[in-house]
Amino acid sequence: MTTFSSPASAEVSEIDRSARWPLAFLIFASLGWLVASGVLALLNTLQILNPAFLADCEWLTFGRLQAIQESAFLYGWAVNAALAVGLWILVRLSAAPLRGGNFVAVGAVFWSLGLLLGLVGIATGHMSSFALFQLPAYIQPLMLAAFAAMAAPGVLAWTGRRERATFASQWYIVAALFLFPWAFSVAQVMLLFAPVRGVLQPIIATWYGQNFLSLFLGPVAVAALYYLLPKIKGQVLPAYDFAPYGFWALLIFSSWMGGRHLIGGPVPVWLPTVAIAAASMALIHHIVIGLNLRSLFAPGASLVLKFAAAGFAAYLLAGLVDAVFSMRGVALITHFTYFEQAQLQLFLAAFSLIIFAAIYYLGPRLLGVAWPSTTLIRAHFLASLIGFPVLVLVLALAGWRQGLELLDAEISLRAIAAHTRPWLQVAAAAQALLLFGNLTLFAHFARLLCAQRSGESLAQFRQPQALEATAS
Amino acid sequence: MSDQNPLHNDDPRLEQAAATDESLIRAHDKASAGAPDLHAAYRLLPLALLFIFSGLIFYGGTYLNRYSAHFSGEVFDERQLPGGEVQVAQVDPIALGKRQYTLACVTCHMPNGQGLPTVYPSLVDSEWVNGSEERLIRIVLHGLKGPVTVKGETFNAAAMPAFGQVPTSGYNWSDERIAAVLTYIRQEWGNEAAPIETATVAAIRSQIPARTEWSEAELLAIP
Amino acid sequence: MKNSAVFFLGLFAVFALSWAGVVLGTHGQLGELAPHFDEMEEKAFPLRQSGLAARGQQVFQDLGCIACHTQQVRRPDYGSDKARGWGERQSVARDYIYQARPLLGSNRAGPDLANYGARAAEKEMTEADMLVELYNGGDERPPHRFLFELRKIVGEPSPKALHGVAPEGYELVPTERAENLIAYLLSLKQTYQFAEARPYEGDGETEGGAE
Repeated sequence: MTTFSSPASAEVSEIDRSARWPLAFLIFASLGWLVASGVLALLNTLQILNPAFLADCEWLTFGRLQAIQESAFLYGWAVNAALAVGLWILVRLSAAPLRGGNFVAVGAVFWSLGLLLGLVGIATGHMSSFALFQLPAYIQPLMLAAFAAMAAPGVLAWTGRRERATFASQWYIVAALFLFPWAFSVAQVMLLFAPVRGVLQPIIATWYGQNFLSLFLGPVAVAALYYLLPKIKGQVLPAYDFAPYGFWALLIFSSWMGGRHLIGGPVPVWLPTVAIAAASMALIHHIVIGLNLRSLFAPGASLVLKFAAAGFAAYLLAGLVDAVFSMRGVALITHFTYFEQAQLQLFLAAFSLIIFAAIYYLGPRLLGVAWPSTTLIRAHFLASLIGFPVLVLVLALAGWRQGLELLDAEISLRAIAAHTRPWLQVAAAAQALLLFGNLTLFAHFARLLCAQRSGESLAQFRQPQALEATAS
Repeated sequence: MSDQNPLHNDDPRLEQAAATDESLIRAHDKASAGAPDLHAAYRLLPLALLFIFSGLIFYGGTYLNRYSAHFSGEVFDERQLPGGEVQVAQVDPIALGKRQYTLACVTCHMPNGQGLPTVYPSLVDSEWVNGSEERLIRIVLHGLKGPVTVKGETFNAAAMPAFGQVPTSGYNWSDERIAAVLTYIRQEWGNEAAPIETATVAAIRSQIPARTEWSEAELLAIP
Repeated sequence: MKNSAVFFLGLFAVFALSWAGVVLGTHGQLGELAPHFDEMEEKAFPLRQSGLAARGQQVFQDLGCIACHTQQVRRPDYGSDKARGWGERQSVARDYIYQARPLLGSNRAGPDLANYGARAAEKEMTEADMLVELYNGGDERPPHRFLFELRKIVGEPSPKALHGVAPEGYELVPTERAENLIAYLLSLKQTYQFAEARPYEGDGETEGGAE
């Protein structure tokens, strides 16, 4: 076993300094995209409420704006933030300074630049039409290269770790960094550059989308939970000896779940069947992490843990909802409706809340200074805690009603739209609230960036104790 | 609070850590071996988990087995199994026959099957159409030439061409089409004779060597 | 999990499994699908897209119409697709083999379009009717005025101009994109039969999952 030199055991050390500017830039960019996508989401919902809104602006037809919003959220906010949090945790756990930080910085710049070009591309009519994979073909290779540049230092942090033993957070993040480029490049080649034939395209698109969500975004969020909980509570996770089962269950099953978006569709029937079965079996993962992380539900006074607990609850619920609502009898109602958007929003809410928790935790450490304002954090928490559940709930209810009415051929689509409208008005309000909350985080992080680091600010960090191994 | 001292535990501006990263890894590495079973007691948790996991996998496996259609690429309905029946598209002989009739026959025999008096014989109520399958099939396969009597009326210069897949035929209709068009004329316009099978047409065609059109006398010699 | 090599091997194996199953497996099953020759019609189905329709599909795709319209019919006893007149039979993989990008869609804020061409023919909608609808929008569908050009009438008015929408002395002419889009919509038909698309004739007991 290696004995640590003294700076490595300090709460803010050489390790954080090595990662400071690349990761701060990543977080800043991700929050910028989050705010932008919030504005776009609001505009997009207003377009449903009033179809003529922005209709004469060809750049922002409903379909294009939806694709732009989705891409800005997923590739702008989610990927950047996931990389920032994932890299930081990997570096902390490797107990060695970040190697290749310049790659992260360069990759982050090109990723955001490529994304911006891609969004302009969608606006001018080059969207791919695949859900969760809308960016135009010409920008995709650049995105892959930029991702590789950002992920490589993560792999270096794994291989160069000081401890031979590994922690659950590391498994999840390394898996995410390793599997995403694989799925991403397969999708690029088979959908855009050498497109496969007919319905194979939607099949591969759903496979990619599923992997993107549950093998990239999901694992990073879970890794953050595994890290934050014992770090803040100072307790060994209970039933930790089962953690590997949870990890491998996620990997084995979730990648087969994409076919549930094709139930009743023109694909061989075994594909949705496998997806439905896999969605149930993936619950093994949720049960295990539920056992490991159950003390999150007693977060105490810690605001970080409250964020994390809200996200964790959403994550578990999303897994359960995926399993239950992909069954054929229920999917008959929910398929093709707002309910499916509610499912996606629930998962993304889980991801966002957990990443918010991680950002609130790592921000001061990364920049060596505490957050400037308590009020802003509380405001963000309140906005998120009201905004996300309301958004998901109204979308789910609107979708359920829409689904029931779609089954009755006597009810016209126009009447269905009229019936869902009140729900969507509430959804727009929830989106506005979320936008406000995310703006506070953005502004707050900007203030944190400008805050003065000093010996005094560093003195605010308490030296943590060593964690005692206790029987689970 | 003083800036010189660590911030209070519950201050949201700075979440204080309670454990070092190094000890986090080591303590969990120790825990991953499981708690030592000092009392040789059954631990309930592993058993319960084993039970739940088996249940989930059993459910998933059963569902998969029942609704996967043996992983066939040609089944789009989860209740169906591949290849149970012969998956040949069924063509309605009447529809196909009608189509063939309007393609070719209609020019002489007219849409109502009445033909033209003295030139083209009528098919309605005709003893040729409703009578012997053997004769009727031969007429369409190889054609008919020379005088012929239909419903008491004599047509002196019948010139029905060959339609079957035989030498000298300009049409080359498959046996299936011939069976279909014959079934059609035998059941249209009030005709009520039995349908004609593709196999019967095929059998007759394969028996007969290459030949020219039939004459009435030759046909009447056949049962 | 102390051994990096084993860990990565596990990751690789697990993901390769789903990749092989979902991506390569379906590719093996569907990659070589051939059109079906229909004896009745003496044509092979699905029909190939005309050049206009193929360009129209690009217009449909780049405007993001897929956000509200699906192009996949579910079987008659699963959902109301048939009752709503969206199609007589289930869509199957073979229907899409000639489409450069199958736009199955996932949201039905608007009607399914898999058989739009057949419906339009049945309702005897002309291209001009459809262009007017496209210009004005309707129900929940936004207007698409940017696909039309308002111009001064110089000499003979254009025969393609929409009637009764332009002010005096002007005419409203569809752009090429609008015409391509209409050609594409009119080409959408799944009115032929495939053996694999025929409804399931079960023994009535195994209705599980359908109801």
